[in-house]
Amino acid sequence: MEHLSYQDVNREILRTLSRPRRSYYLMVGALFLGILWAAIVWYYQIVTGLGVTGLLHPAMWAPYLVQFVFWVGIAHSGTLISAILYLFRARWRTAIARSSEAMTVFAVMIAGLMVFVHLGRVWILYWIIPYPNQRTLWPNFQSPLIFDFLAVSTYLTVSVLFWYTGLVPDLAAVRDRAQGVRRKIYGFFSLGWAGTDRQWHHYGTAYLLLAGLATPLVVSVHSVVSWDFALAIIPGYHSTIFAPYFVAGAIHSGLAMVLTLLIPLRHFFRFEKIITLRDLEAVAKTTILTGLIIGYSYIIEYFMAWYSGNVFEKQTFIFRAIGHHAFMFWLMVFCNAVAPLLFFFKKIRTSLGSVFTIAILINIGMWTERFVIIIGSMAQDFLPYNWGFYTPRWVELSIIVGSFCLFLFLFLLFAKFLPSVSIAEVKEDLTPLLRGKGKRDHHGA
Amino acid sequence: MVPDAALLGIFSHLDDVLDALRGMKKEGFKVLTVFSPFHFSEIQEILGHKPSIVRYSTLAGGILGGTGLVGLAVYAHLSFKLITSGKPILAWIPFAVPFFEGMVLLAVIFTVVAWVLKGRLPRVRLPSAYDHRFSEDRFGILVSCSDGQRGIISKLLQDEGAEEVRDVSG
Repeated sequence: MEHLSYQDVNREILRTLSRPRRSYYLMVGALFLGILWAAIVWYYQIVTGLGVTGLLHPAMWAPYLVQFVFWVGIAHSGTLISAILYLFRARWRTAIARSSEAMTVFAVMIAGLMVFVHLGRVWILYWIIPYPNQRTLWPNFQSPLIFDFLAVSTYLTVSVLFWYTGLVPDLAAVRDRAQGVRRKIYGFFSLGWAGTDRQWHHYGTAYLLLAGLATPLVVSVHSVVSWDFALAIIPGYHSTIFAPYFVAGAIHSGLAMVLTLLIPLRHFFRFEKIITLRDLEAVAKTTILTGLIIGYSYIIEYFMAWYSGNVFEKQTFIFRAIGHHAFMFWLMVFCNAVAPLLFFFKKIRTSLGSVFTIAILINIGMWTERFVIIIGSMAQDFLPYNWGFYTPRWVELSIIVGSFCLFLFLFLLFAKFLPSVSIAEVKEDLTPLLRGKGKRDHHGA
Repeated sequence: MVPDAALLGIFSHLDDVLDALRGMKKEGFKVLTVFSPFHFSEIQEILGHKPSIVRYSTLAGGILGGTGLVGLAVYAHLSFKLITSGKPILAWIPFAVPFFEGMVLLAVIFTVVAWVLKGRLPRVRLPSAYDHRFSEDRFGILVSCSDGQRGIISKLLQDEGAEEVRDVSG
C-alpha cells in the first residue's frame, strides 16, 4: 500500500462505484429471487402456523435460533476489527475494517429478523418492548430474553452509527467526484462534510470514543446471547463458560466470514494493492488463536461434564459424540478446532485458495456448533421419555437459504454503492507526501 | 464562515502545510480553517485546539442512558410485582445488564450527535473556500486578512509551498 499516492487511493477505491458488469446484475437478481422465495415461505409459515416446520417437542428451539446465534456471532468480528483493533492501533485493520463493519450491520439485521421468524406470531413482537399499557404488564427485566432484546437492538444501533460515522468523510469524497442526482444523494448523506480542522478534531475524538464504547459492547452482546441458554437448566446449556466460549466462537466465525467475503471482493474489484496478502494473512493468524480457544472450550466442556459427576450432563455430552447428531458434532470439531490449525503453515495461510476453503469450513463448523448446542441439548434432556429428534423441513431450509441470500445481496449492494475500504484511513496510514529538507530549492518544481 | 477578506492557500505537501501554519501563527495571522483529506493530529496541535468537548457529551449520555434504563426497570418491577425465580422484586445484579446497554446506547447516540453539531454539520452548502481536491490529495489553509496584509500573507503562503493562492473574500 505504501507506494500508492492519495489520488491513487481515491481512484482505486471509488472505481468500484462505477457501472457494474452484467454478471453483477445477474448475481444480485439471483440473490433477490432467493430472498423473495424465503419471504413467500415465511408468509406461508405465518398464515399456516409454526407446525409447518420441523419445530416439534422437545426441540422447540431449532434452526431459527441457530440462525440467530450464528448471525450475531458473524457480526462480532466486524466490531473486533473496526473497534478493538483500532484501539490497539493494528494497521492491518485499515483495509478490511469498512467491509467488516458492513458485514456486522447486515448480520445483526438478519439475526434480529430470525427472532421475528422464530416467534411465529410476529405481529405481537411489540410485547417484548417495555411500554406503558392498559394491562400494566411489563416485561421482566431480569429475564435473559429482555437482556437479548436490549443487547441486540443496542448493538444494531451502535454498529450502524459507528459505520456511518466512518463513512461520512468518504461519502464526501464520492460526492466530490459524482455528478447530477448521485452528487445530491451522496452530498445529503455526507452531511456537507468539508474536511475542516474543526470537523476532523471532533470527529477524531468521537471515533475514538465510539471504538471504546463498542469494545465492551461486543463482549457483552454475545455473553448476553449465551445467557439465553446458560440461565436455563437444560443439560448442555447450563454452563458457566458459555459467555467467553460464545464470544470466542463469535469472533472465530466472524473472522472466517471476513475472509469469505474479502477474498472474492479483492479479486473482483482488483483491490490487490489495498487489501494485501499480509492483511488476509493477519486475519488467518488471528483465526488460529480463536480456533485454539474454541478447541480448548470443547475439551473443557467435556471435562466439566465428567468432573461435575452430573449424570444428565455426562449423558448429554456422550450423546453429542456418539448419538443422533454425532456427525454434526465431529464436523464441528474438525471445522472449528482442527482446520484452522493448518494456518500454522505459512504456505497454507498465504495461499488464497486454501485460506478461502478453510474460511468456508469454519463458517460451516460454526453453524454446526450452534446446531449441536441448541438442538442437540434440547432434543435429549433429563427424561428418556421426553426425548425426540429434530428433522428440518423445506420451510426452515428455505428461510435459512434466504437469509444467506439476503446477507450476500446486501453486501453486494454495499460494495457497489459505498466505498468498501475507508479512503481517509488508508491515507492516514500512507507515508505523507513531504517535500523534505531543502524544499525551498524545489519550489515550483 | 468566510469573513470579508480571506486568502486560501492550496498545498500538496503535508510538511509545507505544517510549516505554513507555524509561520502564520508566528506572524500573528488568523488561520480560519485548514482543509485536509484525512485526520492529522499535528494540524490540530499547531492550531491549538483544546480537547474536544464531545467526551463530556459521551459521559452525559452514558449516565443518562444507564440510569434511565435502570429507572425504567425499577418502575416496571414496582408496577408489576411478580416474583420470578425466587429473586426479589428489585434484583440489582440482573439490572446491571440493562444499565450497561442503556449506558452504551445513549453514550453512542450523544457522541454522534455531538461531533456532528460541533463540526457545524449538517450543512446544505459547502464553505465557499472549499475545493473538491480537499477530499482527494490537497490541503488548504484559509487565512483571514485585511487589505494591507494581503500581499504579505500571499507571499508567506507561496514561500511555504502553496501551489495556488486564491482570494475567497465573501
